[in-house]
Amino acid sequence: MRSRLVAALLALLCAWPSLAQDRANLRVFVGGQQRPDIMRELFREYEAANPGVKVKLEVGGASSDLHQKYLNMVLTARDTSIDAFLIDIIRPAQFAAAGWAEPLNAYLGNDLETALGGYLPAYRAANTINGKVIALPALADSLFLYYRKDLLEKYGEEPPKTWPELARIAKKIQAGERNPDLQGLSFQGKAVEGAVCTFLLPYWSQGGEIIRDGRFAFDRAKAEAGLDMWLGMVRDGVAKRNAAEVSTDDTRKEFQAGKVIFGVVWGYGWNHFQKGADTKVSGNVGVTTLPAMPGGEPVSCMGGWNWAVSAFSKQKEEAVKLIRWLSTPYVSKQLAIRGSFHPAFTSVYEDPEVLKAVPWFQDALPVVATARARPITPVYKQVSDALRINTNVVMAGVKTPAQALDEIEQRIARAVRR
Amino acid sequence: MSTRSLRDRMLDPSDRALALLLLSPAIVLILAIVAWPVAKLLANSVMDVRLSQGVPVRFVGLENYAAALADGMFWRAVRNTMIIVVVTVPGALVVGLALALLANMPFRSRGPIRLALLLPWAMPLAFVGLIFAWFFHSEYGIVNDVIRRLGYTPQIWFNSPALTLAAICIATIWKTSSFMALILLAGLQTIPNSLYEAAEVDGASKWTQFREITLPLLVPSMLVALIFRTLTAIQSFDIPFSMPGPGEETQTLAMYIQQQAVDYLDLGYGSAVAVFMFLLSMATTWVYLRYIRGDER
Repeated sequence: MRSRLVAALLALLCAWPSLAQDRANLRVFVGGQQRPDIMRELFREYEAANPGVKVKLEVGGASSDLHQKYLNMVLTARDTSIDAFLIDIIRPAQFAAAGWAEPLNAYLGNDLETALGGYLPAYRAANTINGKVIALPALADSLFLYYRKDLLEKYGEEPPKTWPELARIAKKIQAGERNPDLQGLSFQGKAVEGAVCTFLLPYWSQGGEIIRDGRFAFDRAKAEAGLDMWLGMVRDGVAKRNAAEVSTDDTRKEFQAGKVIFGVVWGYGWNHFQKGADTKVSGNVGVTTLPAMPGGEPVSCMGGWNWAVSAFSKQKEEAVKLIRWLSTPYVSKQLAIRGSFHPAFTSVYEDPEVLKAVPWFQDALPVVATARARPITPVYKQVSDALRINTNVVMAGVKTPAQALDEIEQRIARAVRR
Repeated sequence: MSTRSLRDRMLDPSDRALALLLLSPAIVLILAIVAWPVAKLLANSVMDVRLSQGVPVRFVGLENYAAALADGMFWRAVRNTMIIVVVTVPGALVVGLALALLANMPFRSRGPIRLALLLPWAMPLAFVGLIFAWFFHSEYGIVNDVIRRLGYTPQIWFNSPALTLAAICIATIWKTSSFMALILLAGLQTIPNSLYEAAEVDGASKWTQFREITLPLLVPSMLVALIFRTLTAIQSFDIPFSMPGPGEETQTLAMYIQQQAVDYLDLGYGSAVAVFMFLLSMATTWVYLRYIRGDER
């Protein structure tokens, strides 16, 4: 009897090291739109390669705003339960200023250059705030101009290079098709984050900037020309009358339903258009760089998500190891093949396996390369609201562009006060 | 006043200690969940607390209050809130009274009617907002469908601040009338039938009966219902939030506070605006209470 007890104790002692080997129990937060199912598969893979590390997934809201609202709450409370999270490309500056993300420089050490060298330069820049590496790119994205290949071919037109050209082609096709439900152009006029890009596309195209060298630099003439361009689209019937009600997914749905000739949407549109269950445009979709203002540059709005480690985590060392693995070309490739997510590495766009799974990435790279980061500032939310809300009221006809620009200036000035 | 001091004298010291002991959990609770947050709110309102920007917390006196008073967005929020109060409080009273009178009628199927009365009251506010946002949607909404069938031009409701506020008020009245009706129905049932019988004998018309008997006797219930309704109208958030107009043109005071304090994490400024809303609620309650007291006298 006693010997059996001793044996049991011995067995327990032998088992002890393996119990203690649970080096880390990491908790990682991602949003509902970032394919938690694929993330979970990747975490299993990491666990298999790193015995003793457990990675748990916590899934949040399906929009960037909801995602951030949750993190705001957790991080202002200095909660230690989440070790790493995905943050939207527009947020690193806020996380840096609030001290919510652990700067990664010390962990990367001498690897810093090699670790950051492979990313598309815009992603590297957007994640480095005052020399501190706040996050590592996970998924890239940008706005694309989707167009109906069949209709453009039918009317002998090439994809437009400028917005007036787009309006001309759209009007020609609309007149020829005689379908009152066919919209020439669909873009985001509702006061959602997409409307920030709506404001910025023509503004950037003319060389405008919101913040230059850390200071607020607003060019009224360029902003007004941009808003006038969008208003013209509505006035001429190229875009629909209630453009102020159109949100990102409305554009996607209406293009998919065959009601739109040109649509401005993020990368996720492609899969819906080509493979969506109820798509009416499969095989007839083209994708290209967004048009420029006359005499301006073609630019796109950069999107994407990045891995950051919580400043309040108690397992930072292990969390950094995990996100470094998650931000490798290998994982990027898996995300591209399994979820059609755009990579933040130039090399992955050229990978034959990736191109076999998502052939259109060949057309996507030039667009992603023209993508610019939205203003990098700790008060991004205020800047975003000022831009999206005023774009929306102009599209709704409640304010003139001049009145809206006054309000944009006032709001941003108040937000950046010291 | 005199009755209270009499009662105090009747308690001997040990009784008083026991009373205090028994009351202490309630006092602690009230301090923790009412007094402490209010004190914290007041303290924050005179500080610069911006959590998202890494700006050091410092005392700024009345700067936040001054900034609010100079801010067009604040005044727009006050204006929108006042419009909602002025339209929906009397609106809900009238509709609620009609519903209560209907439910009080002596016919058979009163049960189902009373149940139907409760339904809007039981529905979450945000739900109502989302439902009505669909009703008023310019392309898929039932309201524009009806307008089109009647041969008029459909409206893009949420493109216009005035039309959006109208839609918000309609949704709010629909949602809150049942609460009004519920309280008024209780009031109606306390009016003795004998009064109406006597009026009938004297040859008073139905309208005279309503004006001379029902309305005056219903005043206390109405006041109670109005206090509650006015306070919730001042704090309007869910319905206007779920039925956004163009930009922030239809932002209410509560939405403005939420934006500043929660979205922008500017707790100092958000607290100052919240103090204004608190004062507005207190002032309203005070007016009603005075009216009730004046009435009793």
